[in-house]
Amino acid sequence: MIMPNVRAIAALLVLGFLALPVQAQQTNQIKKYLGETVASVRATPDPVQKREILNQSLNNLSKAIDRIESAGLIPAEERAGMEVFESTLQDKRDELAGVNGFTRIPDSKLDSYSSYVMQDVEQAAETVTISLVAALLIIIILILIV
Amino acid sequence: MHCARVRFFASATLLDSLIFPRAGCVALAILLSGCSLGSVTQRVFPMMEKATTETRYSLIYVIHGDGDYLYHDEAGRAFQADREALARAVEVAEQNPSAEVFIFHERSRRRFLGLRLPGRDGRLLFYRGGRLEAEAEYRRDPGAARFDPVEELYRRFSTPGDSIPTRAFLYFGHEIPEFGGIGYDRSYRNSSFTVDDLAAGLGRLTTDSTRFDLVVLSTCYGGTPYTVRALAPYSHTIVASPETLHLGYFDQGAFERLDVTWPVGETTRFARQFAGQAFERLANAVETVVSVAVYDIDRLRGSLSALDPDRFRYPSDGEYPPFSKSTRFDCADDPASAISDLQDGVDVLFRPAQFGRQQSKSSHSGWQCRTIFK
Repeated sequence: MIMPNVRAIAALLVLGFLALPVQAQQTNQIKKYLGETVASVRATPDPVQKREILNQSLNNLSKAIDRIESAGLIPAEERAGMEVFESTLQDKRDELAGVNGFTRIPDSKLDSYSSYVMQDVEQAAETVTISLVAALLIIIILILIV
Repeated sequence: MHCARVRFFASATLLDSLIFPRAGCVALAILLSGCSLGSVTQRVFPMMEKATTETRYSLIYVIHGDGDYLYHDEAGRAFQADREALARAVEVAEQNPSAEVFIFHERSRRRFLGLRLPGRDGRLLFYRGGRLEAEAEYRRDPGAARFDPVEELYRRFSTPGDSIPTRAFLYFGHEIPEFGGIGYDRSYRNSSFTVDDLAAGLGRLTTDSTRFDLVVLSTCYGGTPYTVRALAPYSHTIVASPETLHLGYFDQGAFERLDVTWPVGETTRFARQFAGQAFERLANAVETVVSVAVYDIDRLRGSLSALDPDRFRYPSDGEYPPFSKSTRFDCADDPASAISDLQDGVDVLFRPAQFGRQQSKSSHSGWQCRTIFK
């Protein structure tokens, strides 16, 4: 009867150790996700597809944030930072669609716009307070969504 | 006592030092050994031939790499900003026969099974006459002693006396907070780093007669009244961005042949040239806002001294305020900022973001302000 418990504890310890370095890389994972989005947008010549890829990518990030917020997984002190991040993403979606005071991004500028989205998020990541745990959750949910 | 490992060196290249950081050293350590500097392990590569070119420039790079420095170019290719900055700094060092160049790279601590291990997470590459003359690894202490090893190694290798006529300090990293600063280093989450810490560090590397001719802050939001005022006592000219700065950083092309681009006594002209090249490079590479400003401290000094530092210093009774609790803006957009006295002596290059709500902004004062919401 003791062995399964020992195994379980050992497995948890190993998972814990393995999870730590993974956790530390999560903000990078969000950047990589957007980097892949830019590559996909640029790879397709069809503006309709470009727009769809970009919109889907922004939607997925927003959905991930919504889910961890609604599940109460974000500590109160981090919610403000997450809300700013979400608001930034919403602005990007609005500009893409041309709503809420934005002019719709023309087809000819979708490649540049995808780069702008990526660079803006990379720079925001320097100042927006998103804990590694929150970033980890975003990535886990992104993986489930995509 | 640590053993200083010394080897004779005829044709070391950066590749050698990066890929084989210890192999040759260990072998030759048997032949020669000496004393170390505290926790510093160093390798010195004596020149087989004495440098014939007079040292006329002294550059000190501090490249912060203990954080999230991943970025992507327009094609979506991934880069690590600190490694890119390091590679460019080495190019500068190798292409300047009349310079001594100190490159301090502040790295993340190594991890094993998720735990950060103690070890030498700071590294110095020291070049003189275009050749790697010494390399040292040291244990960083991001607390109050952050600049101890920097000063120690600088004193150890720098040309003695005040004979070098032209001196520059370049910092590459994330925005340096004006107060708080906890968590600036990923490996030392309880330690802090602020603008005042940087200023204190510059103070240890200068005297009244050896103030830096040029200080470059390759960070986001370096161009604030508080930051420039804090660094002013240690510099004649500062180049910084009053806005966000993409992790691609300032281009260093202007530093590659200093004997051509930076005649002694022409720092302002050189700073403008450097800022111009950095601006053009960034404007061609990124879609976000680009702004590079040259602060002529010798012209601004009176106005900066008259500034009430508390007017620009945010409440110091807590953590650095989260992004969401503050709004950043061009000081000129708020008449209450009253920065009219700070305009004479600032040259600003500005291009708005190509998208977003600020794309129609046509100019920038060169000063970034911030409102804190409690």
